[in-house]
Amino acid sequence: MNQTLKAFIKKELVQTLRDVRMRILLFGAPILQLTIFGLALSSEIKNIKLAVFSQPGDTAAVRLADDFYSSGWFKPALFSPGEDAFELIGSGRADAVLIMPPGGLGRAAGRSEGKMQLLVDASNATKARVVEGYAKTITARAAAAYGAPPAQALSFDVRVLYNPAMESALFLVPGVVGMLICLVTIILTAMSLTRERELGTFETIVSAPLSDGEILLGKTLPFVLLGMAVFVLVLTAAHFIFGVPVRGPLWQLFLAAFVFIITTVSVGTCISTLARNQQQAMLGGFMFLFPAILMSGIMYPVENMPPSVIAAAYLDPLMYFMRLLRSIMLKGGDLHVFWTNVGALALMAAFAAGLAYNRFRQTLD
Amino acid sequence: MTAGPALEVKGLSIKFGEFTAVDEVSFTVERGEIFGFLGANGAGKTTTIRMLCGLLIPSSGSALVGGLGFADGGKGIKKIVGYMSQKFTLYNDLTVGENLDFAAGLRKLEPRYAAKRRRELFGLIGFDRPLNTLVASLPGGVKQELALAAAMLHDPEIVFLDEPTSGVAPASRARFWALIRKVTALGKTVIVTTHYMDEAEQCGRIALMRTGRLIALGSPDELKASAFPGPMTELDFNGSAPAAFLENLEKAPGLLELSPHGMRWHAAFKDKAAMEAALAALPAAASCTLIKPSLEDVFIRLVEGVER
Repeated sequence: MNQTLKAFIKKELVQTLRDVRMRILLFGAPILQLTIFGLALSSEIKNIKLAVFSQPGDTAAVRLADDFYSSGWFKPALFSPGEDAFELIGSGRADAVLIMPPGGLGRAAGRSEGKMQLLVDASNATKARVVEGYAKTITARAAAAYGAPPAQALSFDVRVLYNPAMESALFLVPGVVGMLICLVTIILTAMSLTRERELGTFETIVSAPLSDGEILLGKTLPFVLLGMAVFVLVLTAAHFIFGVPVRGPLWQLFLAAFVFIITTVSVGTCISTLARNQQQAMLGGFMFLFPAILMSGIMYPVENMPPSVIAAAYLDPLMYFMRLLRSIMLKGGDLHVFWTNVGALALMAAFAAGLAYNRFRQTLD
Repeated sequence: MTAGPALEVKGLSIKFGEFTAVDEVSFTVERGEIFGFLGANGAGKTTTIRMLCGLLIPSSGSALVGGLGFADGGKGIKKIVGYMSQKFTLYNDLTVGENLDFAAGLRKLEPRYAAKRRRELFGLIGFDRPLNTLVASLPGGVKQELALAAAMLHDPEIVFLDEPTSGVAPASRARFWALIRKVTALGKTVIVTTHYMDEAEQCGRIALMRTGRLIALGSPDELKASAFPGPMTELDFNGSAPAAFLENLEKAPGLLELSPHGMRWHAAFKDKAAMEAALAALPAAASCTLIKPSLEDVFIRLVEGVER
């Protein structure tokens, strides 16, 4: 390898890893965040207070209620007979209310008529979606026990299909992995470049007889490598702490991560060419990060967003990486999904790297 | 090493948009010279040096650095010059060895050659601390000496030092200048910018810059002689100066320069007759001594002085 490139890699790695705070920030914080995100989100969707409104003597309804309570996700809400369902939810004494058909569940199910109603407190939309998902799973199981045809019983959404236990950690951890890689690579690259300019050490680098490409590669390649290291670390932790599976082939995972990290490191480089000091670089990094995370589908499904935001989301590299991670880790890595998303990501990487190279050259003087 | 002067600069200019940072600068520097740039902040010293290091391409004019021009975008020049910029040139969070290894990597120096150069330069600057010393823990003077060593690792013919001693203790400044003389004794050419008059005195020749223009060029003695052809006196009023006298003195014909220096005043005149006429009314309590102008006087007269 080019001697200058080697010197850059050694220097950047030593500089980044010598500082104890930096080591903690790079390797400790992601593990901690992963744990907190995973645990906080998985405990939030347990202990859902459910009130079941049914007619006296409706044994089928009692059995269904038992199914709910024994699932481990729901616990009985405390209420007295005759209370208003909306009042229960409004006062926060129940998170959800299940109202049985007036004629009794047994009779309604036998004749395939009558409606069961589920009221969910949707002041926390994410939680409401999870509650809805749980309820669908349980009632579908109960319907199957009654011999109702599955198609008629309920329709599943994708999440239930690939995350049958509805463990949110399973679904969210790939999101957290993507988010952390994004954070580390963008901020680190932008800060490192800006710091050299701010301190003046950049003058020494450009005073050496190097090509623009050599300087740019020297200042960015180390962060691609660091990003990959953090990716491996966070992935390993996700696998062993949360038991997140990697069902697809590893080469898909690493190729996806590599292309994604090239994109984010290029974005970091572009930010550094606009920032005058390290504070600006840091803020610039976050100005990119927040919308990128919000539009990526990590927290809210992209399909639920307004059309204009969906259009913007298609420009978000994190969204493609998110799809790839979930597809590879949870679904086994469908090749069509893989190549379309990696292709889109590669286009973005090429564009971002080209822009970074151009901007970088202009700021060399 | 090629023959001919180290620097041959003719009508060198650079513009940033509408702003002319360096305006038609011409001079020649011989090999082995210590050539100083003196001027206020923003006078164009650093910009001139950055062009001559191949970092900036001039808008017009020509410059031959060690016989090389800008045809290749400055890459050839970069190979034969060493540059120590006025800000950080070493990484505080790297050790001495890591810093020099990186400098060697930037220049693609062969490891054995780099190690040999490192030993030679450590001898030159008298550095005897362990290689794994963090640069942050070194005193300011030692850091600058080490920065010079890093800038000279590839054995450049010409070394550019941009304010190498700013923020360094006086004793270390003297040490650094002794080092500069050692470097020129090796046959290298040293171009240096400074704010310190005592340092400028030590240069073989000085270029004075103001607002991008070269306004005077010569050895310290030549500059003094051309700025002050007549006598210069130091006036000591033994207390505060009488305002009326100073006011008259300011208007005296043949006065070139009047400037306060602490409690005393320096007054320069066109010739002896002008001085005697102007100082005839000197108060009895005051004393006047003939002095040799300092570079500071020259600087005040040429760079900051009022046009008379």
